[in-house]
Amino acid sequence: MTLLVARDLVVTYGGVRAVNGVSLDLAPGESLGLIGPNGAGKSSLLAALGGQTRLAGGSIVLDGHEIGRLPVYRRARMGITRTFQMTSEFARMTVFENLVTAGHGAHGASLGRVVLRRHETRQSEREVASRAWSVLDRFEMAHAADLYGSELSGGQRRLVEIMRCLMREPRVLLLDEPMVGVAPHLVEKLLADLRSIRDDGIALVVVEHALEVVQELCERVVVMALGRPISSGTFDAVVADPDVQAAYVG
Amino acid sequence: MWSTFVSAIGFGVVLASIIAVAAMGFTIQFGLTNVLNLSFGAVMTVAAFAAYLANRHGVGGWSGLVVGGAAGAVFTLALGRGIFKPYARRGAQLFEMMMVTLGLSLIVNYSVQAISHNNIYQFAVLQSTPLQFGSILITHTQLIIVFISIGVLVVLQALLRGTKIGKALRAMAADPDLARASGIRTGRIVVITWLLSGFLCGLAGVVYVVNAQSVGYTTGQLFLPLVIAAAILGGAGSPVGAVIASLIMGIVTEEVAAFGSEAYSTVAGFGILVLVLLSRPGTVRGGQAGHTQLTL
Amino acid sequence: MTAWSYYIATLTVYFGVDVLAALALNLQFGFAGVVNFGFIVFQSIGAYIAAVVVLGPSSGTFQQYVFGARLPFGVALLLATVAGAVLSLAVGLFSLRNIRRDYQAAILLIISLIATQVVQGYVPLFNGSNGVTGVPRPFSSLPLSLQGYQWAYAGWVLVFCVVAYAVVTWLSRSPWGRALRAMRDQEDAAASLGLNVAALRLQVFVIGGALAGLSGGLLVEYIGAWSPDAWGYAETFVIFTAMFVGGVGNYRGVVLGVLLVPILFLELPRFLPQVGYPGLMDSVEWIAIGAIWMLCLYLRPQGIVPERRSLARRRSAAEQGEPA
Repeated sequence: MTLLVARDLVVTYGGVRAVNGVSLDLAPGESLGLIGPNGAGKSSLLAALGGQTRLAGGSIVLDGHEIGRLPVYRRARMGITRTFQMTSEFARMTVFENLVTAGHGAHGASLGRVVLRRHETRQSEREVASRAWSVLDRFEMAHAADLYGSELSGGQRRLVEIMRCLMREPRVLLLDEPMVGVAPHLVEKLLADLRSIRDDGIALVVVEHALEVVQELCERVVVMALGRPISSGTFDAVVADPDVQAAYVG
Repeated sequence: MWSTFVSAIGFGVVLASIIAVAAMGFTIQFGLTNVLNLSFGAVMTVAAFAAYLANRHGVGGWSGLVVGGAAGAVFTLALGRGIFKPYARRGAQLFEMMMVTLGLSLIVNYSVQAISHNNIYQFAVLQSTPLQFGSILITHTQLIIVFISIGVLVVLQALLRGTKIGKALRAMAADPDLARASGIRTGRIVVITWLLSGFLCGLAGVVYVVNAQSVGYTTGQLFLPLVIAAAILGGAGSPVGAVIASLIMGIVTEEVAAFGSEAYSTVAGFGILVLVLLSRPGTVRGGQAGHTQLTL
Repeated sequence: MTAWSYYIATLTVYFGVDVLAALALNLQFGFAGVVNFGFIVFQSIGAYIAAVVVLGPSSGTFQQYVFGARLPFGVALLLATVAGAVLSLAVGLFSLRNIRRDYQAAILLIISLIATQVVQGYVPLFNGSNGVTGVPRPFSSLPLSLQGYQWAYAGWVLVFCVVAYAVVTWLSRSPWGRALRAMRDQEDAAASLGLNVAALRLQVFVIGGALAGLSGGLLVEYIGAWSPDAWGYAETFVIFTAMFVGGVGNYRGVVLGVLLVPILFLELPRFLPQVGYPGLMDSVEWIAIGAIWMLCLYLRPQGIVPERRSLARRRSAAEQGEPA
């Protein structure tokens, strides 16, 4: 049963159709790569799925629910989460606080609950904190727990973003060029981390220019050019496709 | 009632001309730097005083325009290089830069107040005998002001469309990184922008006090919001847009003043600025670096 | 001695009121990143409402205003707080958006300018430029000397400060407070983690507005009068400067800032010999505020007391929570 069904998505900027009628299916736990030349609309597609841009047309159905008109925070509560091209760690909060904030989400952070249900809040704090430590241990970042976001290296910032997403226990994780800002010698490590997330059963949609990463990580690849998909299949099948080669060169 | 409406249009056009000169200066500066420069009004006041002092020392009436413009240009360049640039280098973002301009406006405005001993000075340039065109009442001085603003628009457009520098300026305003990469001497363009927008700012200050026939530390206090509204409404960097928007601002303000009251017209002007700011693109969206960048 | 006593007591009241204002602003700006440059309006509505509900119905001849009544002072303070909250809700719903921070600040600043124009222009509202006067003293039935009363009132205000400090600190350390900081740091990412950023912004705006209204009510019940002169848009900047100097994002620093800027710094000229023409010192004060403002911005506003890092404590498996 498909987890995510997107049909005929259209995104426009000014007069330009950045995403021009894209349809997409995502099965639970599937890892999908989105590649293509610059300006193909990959990031725009991701933004359409995440809710950062408004849909000019089309529909997105997650687990039977139409989410195409929902604001970002509602989609997040339904299990979609994402990273951004420029790392989006909370710079003036510690790594631990970054994770805990994500772990509480909206329910834990609700003003009413904090004021009226103090006992429950204290309990949640403990529970979320212990989950945060588990995640930190899993990614070997416990030593950085008290560092501010602004004090981290590029690779660490990306990890914090990803750990934050995991604290949400998401169904779908959208990754917008995760390797940007990560030092080359750390790419392998980050790739291994992403593989382990995939193996946990979280569906991934990955926009990436580094093709080795896509090859390693993604079961299926969609190639986009000028706002439309031009090829779809396994990585090897797709790179052999002459249309794809033409799009990259031409 | 109709004649009130029409005569208010006349006042509106005069007001619009004054706003337009300032708005053209503001929009050129804002179009490039992306900074909401709240000290623009203070510079207008300083330039107006410069023209006044020159007048007191024998420099004839309308040449005060050149004095004011020059004062505005020099002062703006000094502020741009001496204050804004260092702050930008220390990592100030759009919001911090606006706060800097706010602090600057406090300092400059109250300095002017202190130096002028809280006095208001008379500044009559021309014996203004009113002319009448139907219901429209306008003085010679005001007519000249209208023509000045038209002249500024024409010259500015010629500069921006016709000269190499103008094209470079527009390129930089549209996409600073691309402009830099294409070999445009961005440092020089920034300096020219300071000088040009500063000159217009100073010119506007003089035009304002010539119309008001007095100059003091309160000059133009409630004027800046109208200027900013016109500049942003007309589209950052577009002198033509600024002029059209100024006409809207000027006429609406005067119509409200004619049919309502002075206070209401001020509120109307402020209200328009709020609506413009709420609705104009400037939304910070993750990933789109364009509108969050400042160029100094 | 009594002149000094009056002076210090009054200063203490102003200190307390400014602390309440600064706590509110720090919650909004330091924690949530909301640049409320129109802050003074919310303090002002609290002052006006507190004044008119104790003044009795407007006679219309001496001064005009709305809502005259003769309610007790506790109720007046409550209504002042509510007024601040309600006005904040209205303004917030209209003008808080996900837009560039400088535009947001400018919008709120202009709103405070509009408010001044409206109050000055529409006299039946709050008596225009003349403002409301003759607000009776609270607790005048108590057998206190004038001096005793002033100190009692100062103490009364400080009680509010202590309570507000405790509440605001607790809220800021809670998950809600963390959500605010997340919104401040990266609004889009916070939304993508499920936080309803628009609601959070409105909540912090209203809570800050309520505190602002309370501070206005407390002030007007001491001074006995309130007019547009007391709430120019520039007053907000004095509190912001206090925040920058003392330390943005932490409440102890903010209290220190209030002590240094509005109290010590702005009161100091009173004791200096009169220089230049009357009114010169006022201008010089504002120039100095502007200069301090710019200096703080240049040196990056960590303030004297920087934001304290919250260290994560790791619980051992034994300590950790209830059995599964």
